[in-house]
Amino acid sequence: MELVSATKMRKSQQIALDSRPYSFAALELLANVSALEDLKKWNIPLFEVRKNIKRVLFVLVASDKGLAGAFNSSVFKKFAAHFSKWASLARPKGAGREDHIFLAIGEKANAYLQKQGYNIVKKFTQAGDFTTPEQVKPIIDFIVQGYLEKKWDRVIIISTHFRSALKQEPHVRRVLPIDFDHVADTIKQIIPERGKFAELIKEQNINFVPNRNPSAGSGLREYTIEPAPEKVLEKLAEHLFFMQIYHLILEANASEHSARRMAMKTASDNACDLGEKLNLQYNKSRQSRITTEIAEISAGAEAQS
Amino acid sequence: MKLSVYSLKKILFQDEARLLNCKTVAGEITVLDNHETLITVLSAGAIKVVDDKAGEHFFPIKSGFLEVKENNEVRCIVEE
Repeated sequence: MELVSATKMRKSQQIALDSRPYSFAALELLANVSALEDLKKWNIPLFEVRKNIKRVLFVLVASDKGLAGAFNSSVFKKFAAHFSKWASLARPKGAGREDHIFLAIGEKANAYLQKQGYNIVKKFTQAGDFTTPEQVKPIIDFIVQGYLEKKWDRVIIISTHFRSALKQEPHVRRVLPIDFDHVADTIKQIIPERGKFAELIKEQNINFVPNRNPSAGSGLREYTIEPAPEKVLEKLAEHLFFMQIYHLILEANASEHSARRMAMKTASDNACDLGEKLNLQYNKSRQSRITTEIAEISAGAEAQS
Repeated sequence: MKLSVYSLKKILFQDEARLLNCKTVAGEITVLDNHETLITVLSAGAIKVVDDKAGEHFFPIKSGFLEVKENNEVRCIVEE
């Protein structure tokens, strides 16, 4: 089981890494476009920060199956802590009550939210062992559509960040409205801090911070933007959001597998220990039985002679 | 020109190319060497790439972006 999970973890990581060139290119494109044009000039819905936030959507990313150690419970704990802090935050006067809506990704998240009696708007399961963009699409469409229809004004995702094969941490992220720095952070985190893939950063000399300041560096380049910067940005916003959620889910997947790997390793180690102890105990009691029997026989023989 | 075509799943093409033909929302375009800098949105269709050895490559796409940069560098990010 440990090996199975280890292989799955490697594969999940690999999938995340394969999409990295795309992510960097998209991020750089956004940086280029936003260096040319002021983002705030147009009201692109996905970038726009709404002033009056009435409804907040919380998305909880957990696994479908159990036996993954503390993977799920750490996400839930983080969520509970964040949520109670959020709810107790002083609201500005006249802002009215804030509604909370919940979206569960994974059976375990659904079970948890149901148990707590929260209002679950929808659940998505079977995000899969190896996530493909097609599997993530319905989730993203659902979130974006609800956002555009103003069913919620802010989207917060609680998922697990894969720091290394041994360390995963639950993270809280605001994904909508889109913020350039938030997206950049997520993309940066595709590469784990340590382990097999961490070396890749140095090898490929990846530049994380695209040149946002046109006066430094090569200066403002003249770009022809077709059909219009507004349209390009709108499309780009959709793509970036897609990419971000896709990565969050991939990361959660990799974390799940490595958490399960650790759980399985502990379980088999424990079973080995237990087996050894029981074996020793059995041998001891067998030996003591034999000794008593021999003692009895010799005592009987002595009594007869 | 130096051309790279990336999708979320993998790198589709990354090499020297002679020609890139694709459909954009404003119409079909062909990018040759030393094209002016351009950013545009691709629409559904096939991308055609002719590499240096005159070999042709086709990639079906749903949507994407094309960025022609300075120094004869072209980059596509596409959704398959």
